Amino acid sequence: MKILVSFKSVPDPNEAILAGAAASAAKSVINPFDEIAIEEALQIRERGDAVEIVAVTIGAPAVEEQVRAALAMGVDRAIRIDDSRVLDPYAVARILRAVVEKEMPQVVIMGKQAVDDDSNQVGQMLAALLGWPQATFVSKVEFLDNKTRARCTRETDAGLEVVAIDLPAVITTDLRLNQPRYVSLPGLIKARRRPIETLTCNELRVDVRPLTTVLSIANPPKRAAGTRVDSVEELIAKLRQEAKVL
Amino acid sequence: MVETLVLIEHDRERVKRQSLHAITLARQLSGKYALLLLGQGLGEIAASLVSYGASVVLVADDPALAEPLADRYATVIAQAARKYDSKILLGTSSTFSKDILPRTAALLDIPMLTDVLAVEENDGSISYQRPVNAGSMLATVKLETDRCVLTARATAFDEPAVDAAACPIERFEFDAALLPNRMEFISREQRASDRPDLTEAAVVVCGGRPLRDKETFERLVGGLADALAGAVGATRAAVDSGMAPNDYQVGQTGKVIAPQLYIGIGISGAIQHLAGIKDSRVIVAINRDPDAPIFQVATYGLVGDLHQMVPQLITALSKGAESA
Amino acid sequence: MDFTWSDQQKELLDAVGRFASQQLNYNMIENDRDGVFNHDAWKKCGAFGIQGLLVPAEYGGLGMDPLTTVAALERLGYACKDNGLIFSINAHMWTAVTPLVYSGSEAQKKKYLPGLCDGTLIGGNAMSEPNSGSDAFSLSTTAVKKDSKYILNGSKIFITNGPVADVLVVFATVDKARGPNGISAFLVDKDSPGMDVARKLEKMGLRTSPMAEVFFENCEVPEENLLGKEGSGPSQFTWAMTWERGCILASAVGSMQRLLERCVRYAKERKQFGQPIAKFQLVASKIVDMKLRVESARHMLYHCAWLRGQGKSAYLEAAMTKLHISDCWIKCCEDAIQIHGGYGYMTEYELERELRDAIGSRLYSGTSEMQRNIIGSLLL
Repeated sequence: MKILVSFKSVPDPNEAILAGAAASAAKSVINPFDEIAIEEALQIRERGDAVEIVAVTIGAPAVEEQVRAALAMGVDRAIRIDDSRVLDPYAVARILRAVVEKEMPQVVIMGKQAVDDDSNQVGQMLAALLGWPQATFVSKVEFLDNKTRARCTRETDAGLEVVAIDLPAVITTDLRLNQPRYVSLPGLIKARRRPIETLTCNELRVDVRPLTTVLSIANPPKRAAGTRVDSVEELIAKLRQEAKVL
Repeated sequence: MVETLVLIEHDRERVKRQSLHAITLARQLSGKYALLLLGQGLGEIAASLVSYGASVVLVADDPALAEPLADRYATVIAQAARKYDSKILLGTSSTFSKDILPRTAALLDIPMLTDVLAVEENDGSISYQRPVNAGSMLATVKLETDRCVLTARATAFDEPAVDAAACPIERFEFDAALLPNRMEFISREQRASDRPDLTEAAVVVCGGRPLRDKETFERLVGGLADALAGAVGATRAAVDSGMAPNDYQVGQTGKVIAPQLYIGIGISGAIQHLAGIKDSRVIVAINRDPDAPIFQVATYGLVGDLHQMVPQLITALSKGAESA
Repeated sequence: MDFTWSDQQKELLDAVGRFASQQLNYNMIENDRDGVFNHDAWKKCGAFGIQGLLVPAEYGGLGMDPLTTVAALERLGYACKDNGLIFSINAHMWTAVTPLVYSGSEAQKKKYLPGLCDGTLIGGNAMSEPNSGSDAFSLSTTAVKKDSKYILNGSKIFITNGPVADVLVVFATVDKARGPNGISAFLVDKDSPGMDVARKLEKMGLRTSPMAEVFFENCEVPEENLLGKEGSGPSQFTWAMTWERGCILASAVGSMQRLLERCVRYAKERKQFGQPIAKFQLVASKIVDMKLRVESARHMLYHCAWLRGQGKSAYLEAAMTKLHISDCWIKCCEDAIQIHGGYGYMTEYELERELRDAIGSRLYSGTSEMQRNIIGSLLL
């Protein structure tokens, strides 16, 4: 089985902790949900259900650091689609469709959402464009029937749900699917010797333009500062008399 | 032609109240709107929707739609959107709509915006506001097309007022035999609860990892919720530790809530959790770390050991209830 | 003089920071209180590549240069709050791994280095004795050759990693009459007959780093475990010491940076008398001094490592580096507590532990007094 994992380079959500001694601009990392997707692909290969893992991302040359991180985790091949534009989920899905048609994987795995954009659309859109089944917000994956189907547990608002889908399919990962392995230094050094394939949209014969434009980004209104209370009694009194919620 | 189609969610017994909030957004946009319901045996549920000012309640009722399988649902919804020449397809953000609507958008070859908080019109040009980076920033976005799919964040729109006049209910016909057949529903957890729905409750009590284990979590967080007739939520860390099931998770990648009263117990206030509770009317935080970020957004902050404070709180509230 | 890091170095350092902050910081207060060694974290560090940073690749290491190595250890100290774990790793790297790399036979290197690099083996050394600390070469543990074995007799104290070590580099004399020239180094495997790792020693700080007394009573060590030649003990020790002095406090620079950032954040947020305490000169001044210490410590650290990488002697620089960084570290910890007021004294805030951890730095790898002697003797 060949697995295609799609990942996005995003600003590090844990930035405060990791600003190193030589701190400068915001660091980029592999989107945490996509890291879980890469880990899942690696675990699937480790238990013998897959033979090749290809990782793909779309971005400017600067994202090659994240591509190397994916190689350092253990994917077999890594592709960067060279495109520096800000792409909306539908544009991303259309580009990924071209990559899928070229690579012909049995499974596409990606994180359910990117933690910068929080759209949660790409996987589902890609599945529609390919006419493939989808399993979203997945917390467990098993392959059945000689790897022609996948049984997926999904995390939904009502609790856990289980579906079985025919392959080829698109799977999007939720938080509790696995704990990604960290990139080790030996892995990082070995990854430096592995090539990163670069492709342009032209070479993929795909021409998309984003249909969404961000006009502005602003801070949300700040909540007014509250007060400290010193005891349970004082809290209850304030909730009753001041806030009137009890 | 119906300009806007609103997808309504149900749990096979009744409408999910949260999903009605998209109607408020539909009313803000121009033109007629219809409500769309998919499933099986929807008679009563459809009847409960006739007084929301829609031009029609469309019902796609078929055994093939008994379970919300994304490939089937997206196909049917796309067909309805085409038949009614709808420009906008709306839903309220939920795992149901997030699973199905992006797929539908791609089938219709149109873009989608998730978690719309507000819509603004300036000189005939429409812009949408949505949260990014776990809600730490608000993006104002415009679309290059006039057709789109939107999910509205329920907490940003009021529940729609009921209209006096009743609208017709119409069966939406489609060929079930032509529906995709490569996804199969296997099972769903059934957990009965007397507590109100987390996204609908007026009072929510959330617990974090310091609650240590499932029993303590249920005793303290559950106990306090019950004393207040509220719902129970949890942080990602608490769910990861096995103290609470996934559907209790509140935050950037879980549920977004805005109750009248939110009480966070042993919750430090990571941005990802705050993203899910920021719009609560009153926020109470109980934490032993005076520097915990949650105190910066809390209306009332109580610094102390939750293992002592919460039992005291439960006792005081129960006494108050008895003497009231 | 190019003070910039290459992209590759930055990538490596970021990987260290991310690994450490995500994998190594848990149960800190409990482990410190109970003196628990985090063996899991040790193994993760080994798998990650820390213990083998300087070891040639053919023996399972990464063959990194000294400057990148100390920068990696600095980043480790920044992102990992477990000073005890890092101390154990350092003891292992400088007192066990380094002697093996420089003095070990091919067979000894192949036998021990791969495990010492990948986290499966823990190493340490046994030099200090109850009656010989600073005066290291006056040790009394004896090693008598008998048939194809050496028989060791004596007792060692302050053995870092003693309770958990798989192998110790033990210094003993084969002939007391020869003075220092009789001292030899031996690789002693744990559970060697006649070897008794006795009570775990309780310390003021670095409590997650296990330490013990070790007794040798007719302890049998195979002759192939002699490390280097007979009588080469002092030169091996001195060689390892110059590495140790220059590098063992690399992570302290990272810890200081972390404390500095914490104090800056706190000073800006904490309000008293209607304003952030950052506005009070007495608070600001402490933070300025912390910054000066971090920068000067860092530059000495890098310079010393750079000299090593150039193949130059760094005997003087190593002593100065160790002396200076230890003083800076302790002072930074004191200031951090003071800036946080009463909270700084509370265990929960994890600042008092930093000070307790830092105090040892004036004592191990040669006391500050010994460092001063060394520096003085080279200048005068």
